[in-house]
Amino acid sequence: MSTPSVAPITRRVRAYFAPVNRAAGTPTLFDAAQSGHFPLHIPPAPWVDLGWISKFVRKSGTKVEALRTGSPAMTTAQVRTEAEATVSLEFEAWGKLQMTLASGSQQTNLLTTVPGTAPNGSGGLAAAPVPLLTGTGPASTATSLNVGATAAAAFSAGSLVAVDVDYTGQTGYLGAGVSTAYVQSPTAVGSDINYVRRVTLNVGVVAAIAAGVLELAAPLPAGAPAAGMQVSQLAGFCDREGASFFQEWSALFVLEGAQGDRILYHYPRLQAMQGSAEVIETLAAPLETIRLAAAFRALPVKDPNDGETVLCFRSYLPAPLRSI
Amino acid sequence: MQNAKDTFYTTLQQRLAALNPSRTLVLRGVVRPATLVDENELPTASIPTDAFRLQWTNLQVTNASPLPWIAMECAIHYATDGSAGNGGMDRGRALAAMDAELAAALAAEPHAVPKIDYTAAPPAVMATNIFWSDPVFAATTATNERLARTATVQVFAYQEAGER
Repeated sequence: MSTPSVAPITRRVRAYFAPVNRAAGTPTLFDAAQSGHFPLHIPPAPWVDLGWISKFVRKSGTKVEALRTGSPAMTTAQVRTEAEATVSLEFEAWGKLQMTLASGSQQTNLLTTVPGTAPNGSGGLAAAPVPLLTGTGPASTATSLNVGATAAAAFSAGSLVAVDVDYTGQTGYLGAGVSTAYVQSPTAVGSDINYVRRVTLNVGVVAAIAAGVLELAAPLPAGAPAAGMQVSQLAGFCDREGASFFQEWSALFVLEGAQGDRILYHYPRLQAMQGSAEVIETLAAPLETIRLAAAFRALPVKDPNDGETVLCFRSYLPAPLRSI
Repeated sequence: MQNAKDTFYTTLQQRLAALNPSRTLVLRGVVRPATLVDENELPTASIPTDAFRLQWTNLQVTNASPLPWIAMECAIHYATDGSAGNGGMDRGRALAAMDAELAAALAAEPHAVPKIDYTAAPPAVMATNIFWSDPVFAATTATNERLARTATVQVFAYQEAGER
């Protein structure tokens, strides 16, 4: 015997990120039939937890028009003339990933500069990167970077680091793990050896240093460093109103119902539809909380089950033993 | 709705006991976790300190849902005189500790637990969950050396078929 189903009651929304392979044009797809019941704090790979979000609003811009025939004209059929879906939300945390997605364009790392370099809005000439040692000491991993005792002396617990390859004239999409910029020509980026590390999402926080190895507080998003990757220190992050690149990501939003039911919204392709913005909320005057505000427009994918071109998948997993 | 009240009480008692196992009281000669429901105990003029006392106050029943939906207000009272060893000068710290324990117990995941019928032997898990709001903490009241506070929580549940 089943219990009548009731409208879901939820407390808040959790967001997850996965990369879109921009060069191939393929998003990361989430299969609610296979993985819909995952524990909220342990998303299935390659999904990355973005934490709780607020003011989550979905809007359908799909237009349905009436086809009228006869005299007087009467509606005999309907057609969809336009399909559009947008999402807006506020992030509860100012992390690198959240800032990148909210800004919607290149989100640069403010690399530590050469002393005395000319000032620049997104960071001046960056200091020389630190190579990862191979053949001496332990191999670097996603959570430990072997830079050697001499280089490690320049770091301290709490240092922010970017780990990626040198820029050597590559064109197209750049960034380890996630495409974070598009370079048309080496001259556009001044053939800056640090350019990839300027835009990469492959960043971490040094938690401890031991025997020339930087132990990171969390694994690097792109995993163990590949050959040729180097380490740059950074002071923080910067995005620019007017920048040209469009970030694109695969998104998953999960609403956990109080009765064990679950609503999942999967947008395989989202691109920002506004520039950097914040929402200011008065905590207790004059104290204010500043949240990252973001708005996205969904781009289409084709569902191979029936060839339909769609923007979003809404899945509902009922609570156990409920009538359906 | 008694099942929802019982389930919320046992959930809160277990969570508070896990956070601070040493917070106990002696009631009717038995040492037990220092969380109790006033209406389940013998009437007394004595108010236990360093314990959480639950009182069920407001009730709302809504029949518009496929299952009747109930919202109950639970007032959680607690007070402390501090410790005798410190001459009561630690009463502020003692109240802060109780604030933190209660806030942590109510904020811990999950925020919904299966409703349990404790009149059955053994207790029977029912079909729906109970869930609750974030607590609202009232201002501290001071009476002589005693500090006290009341936190209010809304507890929600569905009334299942045949349930009383």
